Amino acid sequence: MKCKISFLLFLSLFTLSLTAQETKTITGTVTDTRDVPLPGAELKVVDKENYTTTDFDGNFTLDVSVGDQVRITYLGFETQTFSITNDDVYNVALQDQTSELDEVVVVGYGNQKRSDITGAIVSVDSEEITKQPANNAIQSVQGKVAGVNIIANDAPGATPTVLMRGLGTAEGGRSPFYVVDGQPLTDIRSINPNDIESIDFLKGASYANIYGIRAANGVILITTKKGKKGKPVFSFESYYGAKTILNRVEMAGADDFITYFNEGQTSIGSFLLEPNQRYNTDWFDELLQTGLITNNSFSVSGASENIDYFLSYNLFEEQGILEGQKFQRGTIRNNNTYHLFDDKVRIIQNLNIAYTNETPKPFGAFNRAYGQIPLVPVRYDNGRFGRPYVNTTTGIVTFEAAPGESVQVLNNAGNPVNDVFYADQQINTTTLQGQIAAELDITDDLMLTTRFGATKFYSTNRDFNDIRDQWLNADPRRTEEFFDLQRTDPDGDGVVSTEYANNSYSLRRTESYRWNVEGFLTYTKEFNKHNLSATVGLSRENYQGGEFTFAQAYDVRPQRNLRNLGDQTSQLFQDIADGDTFQSTNLQSYFGRFEYNYDQRYYVRGVVRRDGTSDFITGDDNQFGVFPAVSVGWTLTNEAFMENNSFLDNLKLFAGWGQLGNQSVPFNIQQINTGSGSRNTNYVFGPAQSLIVGAALGSPARPISWEVTEEWEVGFDFALLNRRLSGTIDYYNRLNTNAILNVRPVRNSEFLNNFFDEAAEISNTGFEFLVNWQDNIGSDFSYNIGLNFSTNQNEVQNVKPAYDGAIGGSLNNGIITKRLVEGEPVFAWWMYETDGIWQSQDEIDNNASLGTAEPGHLRYVDQNDDGIIDDRDKTYQGSYIPTFNYGINLGINYKSFDFSVTGFGVGGNYVYNGLNSVYNIGNNIPQSMFDNRWTPENGGNTVPGANRDNEASDFYLEKGDYFRINNITLGYTLPEISIINNARLYVTLQNPFMFTQYSGFTPELNQNGDPTGTTGIELSAYPTTRSFIVGASFKL
Amino acid sequence: MNIKLKLGIFYASIACCLISCDDYVEDVEIVDSVAEGSEENFEPADFVTGVYGMHTDFVYAFPYLGITDMISDNSDKGSSPGDTGADKNLLDGLTYTSTAPSIRDMWTQWYKTIGRASQAIEFTQLYEGQSSAPKERLIGEAKFLRALNYFWLVRAFGPVPIQSQDLVRRAPEEEVYALIEQDLNDAIAALPLKNDYASQDIGRATKGSAQGLLAKVYLYQEKWQEAADMANTVMTSGQYDLEPDYATVWRESTENGPESVFEIQARGEQPAHGVNQYSQVQGARGAEGWGWGFNTPSQNLEDAFNAEGDEIRRDATIIFAGETLWDGRQVNPAAANPRYNEKAYSSANAGQSDGDKNIRVLRFAEILLIRAEALNELGQSAAALTPLNRVRTRVDLPNVTTTDQGQLRRVIWKERRLELAMEHDRWFDLIRTGQAAEAMAADGKTFEPRMNLFPIPNEQLLQTPEMTQNPGW
Repeated sequence: MKCKISFLLFLSLFTLSLTAQETKTITGTVTDTRDVPLPGAELKVVDKENYTTTDFDGNFTLDVSVGDQVRITYLGFETQTFSITNDDVYNVALQDQTSELDEVVVVGYGNQKRSDITGAIVSVDSEEITKQPANNAIQSVQGKVAGVNIIANDAPGATPTVLMRGLGTAEGGRSPFYVVDGQPLTDIRSINPNDIESIDFLKGASYANIYGIRAANGVILITTKKGKKGKPVFSFESYYGAKTILNRVEMAGADDFITYFNEGQTSIGSFLLEPNQRYNTDWFDELLQTGLITNNSFSVSGASENIDYFLSYNLFEEQGILEGQKFQRGTIRNNNTYHLFDDKVRIIQNLNIAYTNETPKPFGAFNRAYGQIPLVPVRYDNGRFGRPYVNTTTGIVTFEAAPGESVQVLNNAGNPVNDVFYADQQINTTTLQGQIAAELDITDDLMLTTRFGATKFYSTNRDFNDIRDQWLNADPRRTEEFFDLQRTDPDGDGVVSTEYANNSYSLRRTESYRWNVEGFLTYTKEFNKHNLSATVGLSRENYQGGEFTFAQAYDVRPQRNLRNLGDQTSQLFQDIADGDTFQSTNLQSYFGRFEYNYDQRYYVRGVVRRDGTSDFITGDDNQFGVFPAVSVGWTLTNEAFMENNSFLDNLKLFAGWGQLGNQSVPFNIQQINTGSGSRNTNYVFGPAQSLIVGAALGSPARPISWEVTEEWEVGFDFALLNRRLSGTIDYYNRLNTNAILNVRPVRNSEFLNNFFDEAAEISNTGFEFLVNWQDNIGSDFSYNIGLNFSTNQNEVQNVKPAYDGAIGGSLNNGIITKRLVEGEPVFAWWMYETDGIWQSQDEIDNNASLGTAEPGHLRYVDQNDDGIIDDRDKTYQGSYIPTFNYGINLGINYKSFDFSVTGFGVGGNYVYNGLNSVYNIGNNIPQSMFDNRWTPENGGNTVPGANRDNEASDFYLEKGDYFRINNITLGYTLPEISIINNARLYVTLQNPFMFTQYSGFTPELNQNGDPTGTTGIELSAYPTTRSFIVGASFKL
Repeated sequence: MNIKLKLGIFYASIACCLISCDDYVEDVEIVDSVAEGSEENFEPADFVTGVYGMHTDFVYAFPYLGITDMISDNSDKGSSPGDTGADKNLLDGLTYTSTAPSIRDMWTQWYKTIGRASQAIEFTQLYEGQSSAPKERLIGEAKFLRALNYFWLVRAFGPVPIQSQDLVRRAPEEEVYALIEQDLNDAIAALPLKNDYASQDIGRATKGSAQGLLAKVYLYQEKWQEAADMANTVMTSGQYDLEPDYATVWRESTENGPESVFEIQARGEQPAHGVNQYSQVQGARGAEGWGWGFNTPSQNLEDAFNAEGDEIRRDATIIFAGETLWDGRQVNPAAANPRYNEKAYSSANAGQSDGDKNIRVLRFAEILLIRAEALNELGQSAAALTPLNRVRTRVDLPNVTTTDQGQLRRVIWKERRLELAMEHDRWFDLIRTGQAAEAMAADGKTFEPRMNLFPIPNEQLLQTPEMTQNPGW
C-alpha cells in the first residue's frame, strides 16, 4: 500500500510542478455505464500539460481553468471529452468501446481498425495465449485460427510446424515470416508468451504482401506488451505441471514375442527360441518418465507522464519424458515508450534477452524401444547394458555360450536406455533483440516512423562422447584389457584408431546477427466522408551473416566440470578444428500502401512492395522483384438501406489479390567433377600412357529465382443478433507459379546428379470458416463458443516434361514412400495397394506376385494387370497434409469461476506407420499385430505373418484424422484481498484426450516439416504428451 | 532550450537518417546464385578428357560383357553356378527382361557419355581463353565419341531418343544413323591422321578412327558401296597394317600399334587407371586364379576354331585350364572353369582393379573384313577375297577361293567370328546378319524375334512412361 501512496503523491507533485497558471481544482469519479469505478483512467486537459489518473475508486483531482476541455481515456472505452464550467465536481460514465470492431489490428508498417480490414486476418490476444501454457506462443494458438495448421511437437524446446493455407513449396522454406514489433524474428522460442499482447495472422496475400519476398508462407505479426497509463502493475504468474505420454502402444510381451519369432524362423528354417527366458522387459516402462514443467513470470508495467514502461522476466523449464532431457529458457524484456514534445515525438525502445539451456536426448530411443525385444534386459548382471545377443544353440537370449555354442545378434534395434544414458550434449543459446523506433508527428495528418533494430545470436553446443564405455557396452563380452591394448598401437603402424579413444569432446560455437533500418511516412486524412491513409517507406536489412567454429579433442578429462579441449590425458589422437563465416544477405525494399474508404462503406486498398536481395542475380538489376496487391471491401450494414435492419449488426464483403515471394529457396551450384587418380573424368594418353586429369560438369546450374505465389481471396465478415454471433467466411486460391523441384535427371538425359529447377506450379485452395457465439445469461453467467473450420486442397500442377517423379519419404532401409507428380499433392504417398495375405505358395505361383513373396506376406494388387508386381503397380494414396482442420473453443464464466475447453482436429490425411513397416525378424511387434497375424495353421487375411517383407504398402498407411482436446482449464478468481487484486488460481489439463484410429503413438507427425523427408511417417517421432498443470497469477 | 528548436533538430536528425538510406541499392552486395565454381581454371581439353574417361567405368568390365559376349554363342556366363553376376545368367540363358541391370547400366552410360560429349563440345565452342589443343580437333574428338555411343545405342535398342531433341520420343533408326554420320563426317574433317598426332596425344580419336567407325556404321545400314569405299580410305591412308603375330594383338606390346584404329586406353603402373576391373572380372577363378572367372569362351566357340583348324587364333583367344601362358603363368588345371578369355588377360596387372589392358574397339583386321563383306554384297566377290585372305594369311589359314556370293558371305561372317572373338561384337553381328536364331539354336538356346533389340530399361520407362517399349518386351 505504501508504494501506491507514494507513487500517487509523486504523481500529484509532478502534476503540480507542471502547472504554472492560476487554476481551480476539480474532483470527480470516472465509472463505466454500470457505475463501476474505473481506476487508472487518464484525464488530460487538452492543449495543456495538466494530467492525472483516477485512483482505485475512480476518483480524481485535477487543476483546470474554466473553459478547458478535459479528455478522459481508458483502455477498452470510448474516449470522452468534457468542458469545465463553474462546477467543481464531475462524475463521468465512459462508454464501452463497440466490441472488437474498433480493436486495432497490426498490419505491418501500421495499424488498421478491425472494421476497416478487407482481408482474412485473425488476431489472438494475450489471454488466449497464456491460457494454453507452452514454451512458445504459436503452440498455444493451435486450433484457434482457421486456415493455420499448427502441427505440434511435444519435445522439450521444440517448435511446431506452421502451415498457413497449405504447403506451397516443395524445396523452399516453409515457415511463415515472423515479425515482432516490426522486427523480423527467426526463432519464436525467444519470445516469452506472457510478454505478448496480440498475434495477428496475415493469411491473405493482400495483407501479407507488405512483406514481399518473404511473405509467401504467410506472415505472423507479434505485438508485445507496453506499459499502460496508470499505476504500476506488478504481475506474477507461476505454473507447475507434470507430463506423461498420451498414447502408448502396447507391445508384445516375452511369451508372445517368442511365439511370433519362432513362427518366422520356422518359415525360413532357422533356429528357434526356448519358451522360457529370464527377462521380460517393458522397454517403454524403462525408457519413459514423467516430465515436469515449471514456469515463473514476473512483470511490472505502467506509465508516467512521459514514459510508458514494461519490464518482464520469465523462466521456463521443462524436463522431458526421457531421463535427463531438459529445456530451460529465460527471457528479460524491457519495452519503453518515451513521449516527448507534448507527445509529438515518441521514442520506442524494445529490448529482449533470451537464453536457453538445453540437454537433448536422442528421439531414436523411441523406435529402439519399439523394436527391441522383451527378452533383452536393460542391464546384465555384470552391469553392462543389455544387447540382443542370442545363443542359437540353446535358444536362450544371452551372450553367454559354452564352447561350441554359437552366439548371434537378433536385431539391430539397440538399447534405448543405453542411448539416452550416453547422450551428453548441452546447447546454450543467447539471443539479444533490440529496437529503437521514433514516431514523429510532422503535422496532424503526417507521421514519420523510423526504426533501427538488431539481433545477435550466440549458440554453444558441447558434446561429450564416452567412447570407451560405449564400446564396452556395445558388447557385454568386451574387456577393458582389449581396449587398453588397442591404445598401445599393437600393429605398430604408429596410429591408434579413434575408435579406441577414451572419449571425445567437441565444442561448436555459432554466432549470427542481423540488423535493419527502415523509415516510413504515414498520411491520414478524414474529410467529409472520405477516409484516406497512405504509407510509403523503405527498408534495408542485413541478415544471415555469422560464423561458426568447431573444435574437437579426444581423451579429455571426463568429469563435467573439468572438460577442457586443451587438457587431454593423452596425445594419441589428432584434434579437429573447423570454422567458417556465413555470407550475409542484403535486402533493400520499398513499399507503399494506399487505403481509402468512403463513409466506412466502400473500401479500396492497394499495396506494392519492391524487394531487392543480394541472394539472386541473373543479370542487370534482376535481383529486384515487385509484389503488388489490391483488395476491396463493402460494408453493407453501413448503407442507408440497411439502417432499419435490426438483425444484422455487421456485414462486410471483401476480396483481395496479391503476389508474394519466397526467397528461401535452394541454390544451384554448378559443380565441376574433377580429381586425381582413377576416376571417370581422367584418361591416359601418350606413349607412356600418362594419367591426364580431366573434368566433367556435374549437375547444371539452372538460373533460379525466388518463388512467386499468386493468391486471391473472397469472403465476408458478419455479426448478428446483437453481435452475439460473429465470424468470417472466406475462400482462398493460391498458386506458387514457379515451384522449384529437386530434379532427378532421367536416365537418358545428359546429367548425372540431381539439380534444382523451376519446374512446376503448386496450388492450394480452400475455405475458411470462423464463427463465434457469445452471450450472457443474467449478470453472473456468460459464455462463448468459437468454431473454426478450414479446408485445403494441395496439388502439384504443370510439371515440366521429364521433371516429374522426384522421390521422398525414405524409410532408411532402401524403401521410399512418397513421390512428387503432377495432379497429386506435394510428395503424395506412393506405394502398393494390398489385397490381403498370401495364403499358400500355390496362390503366389498362380498370381502376379513379387519374386520374394512367401505365404504370410502381404499380397499386392497388380494394378495394370501385366502379371508383374513392379513400380507401375504403386499408386498415389493421398498425402500427410490434412485436407481439413478445425478447432472448437468453449468458455464459460460464472461468478468468479471460469472454465474453458479447446479442441483441435485434422482430417483427410494419411500417416505412415514406419515403426511397423521397418521390421526385421528379431524385432518386437505391437500386441495388435501379434493378435491378428497370419499363421500357416489359422490363416488370417488382414495382418501379415511373422515372416513378412519390407515393401511400403497401404497396410502401414493409416488415416491421420484425429481430434484432440487440447486444453481444459478451470479457474477461480479470488475476491480482492488487501493489495492483491486479480488473483486467479487455475488447473489445466493439456491434451487429456485424443480420438484417433491411428495405431502408433501419435498421428501428429511433425519432424522438421520437410515434405521430401519423413514428415508424416512415424519413425522416431516424439510422442504426444498429456500434462496436468496447476497455476496461479495475481497482480498488485 | 526552446521546444520548437529542439523539435527542429530532432526532425533534422531523423531526416538525415532516412536520406542516408537512399543510396543503398548500390550497396547491395551481389552474390552469384550460379556459382560457376572455378570454371575459369578449366579448358576444353579437360572436358574432352572427361568424355574419354567415361569409357573406363566398371560398366565396360561387366555389364558390357554381358550384353555383347555372354549373351552370344561365343561365351558363357562362367564363374560359379551360384554367382549370377546380377543378371548374367539371364543374359546367357536368353531369359533376360527389361529389368536386367546390365541393359539399364549400358543404356545409362551411353547416354551420360553422350551428355558429356555434348557439354564438352558446347564448352569448347563458347570458350574464349587459351586452349592447349586446337579447339576444332577437340570438338572432332568429342563428336567421334558421341557418334560411337549413339552407334552402340542404336544397334542395341533400335530407335532411341536423340538427347538434344527430346528425351521421350524415340527417333527412327535412320534419324539416329544420320546424326551419327553427321558427327563422324565432322570428326573426319576435324581430326588429324594417326601419325600426325604428337606423341603425347597417342590414344586420341584420329581421322582413321572416325573413318573406320563410319565404315562400320555404313555396314550396319547395308550401305555397301559407302562401307567399301570408307574401309578402302582407311586401308589406303598409309596409317595402318596388321600386326604380324595375331597372338599379340590384344597384348600390351601392340597397344596403339599399326593395327590399332581406336582403343580405350588403360594404365597399370601407379598412378593406375584402367578400365575398372576388366581383367579381374574375366580372370581365372578359384585357387591360384586372379579373377572372378566371368565371360568364359564357350565350347561352341572352341569347336568353331577347331573346325576351321584355326589353332593360332584359338590359342590366342582362349586360356585353357591347366595351360602355361605365354608369360609363364601356370593356370590351375582345377580352375573353376575350363576356359577363360585370353584377350582380357593382363600379364602385368592380372587381378588388379586398374589394369593396363587397352580395349580394342576397332582394329585394322575388322576394316579389312568390312571391305570384304561390302565388296561381296556389291557383287565384287573376287575383289572381296583380297582383304579377306590378308586376314587369314596372318594366322596361317589357306586362302579362300570361292567367288560364290552366298558362300562367300557365310565365309566372311565366320571369319569375323573367329578373328573378332571375345571382342564384344558377336551378338550384334549375329543380329545384323540374321544368323542369331540359327546360331543360338546351335548353342542350345532359343532366340526370340523380340531379341533383335534389347528392351528399353524398365527404370527409364518408369521415369518417362510415355516412351514406347520395343516390340515383344
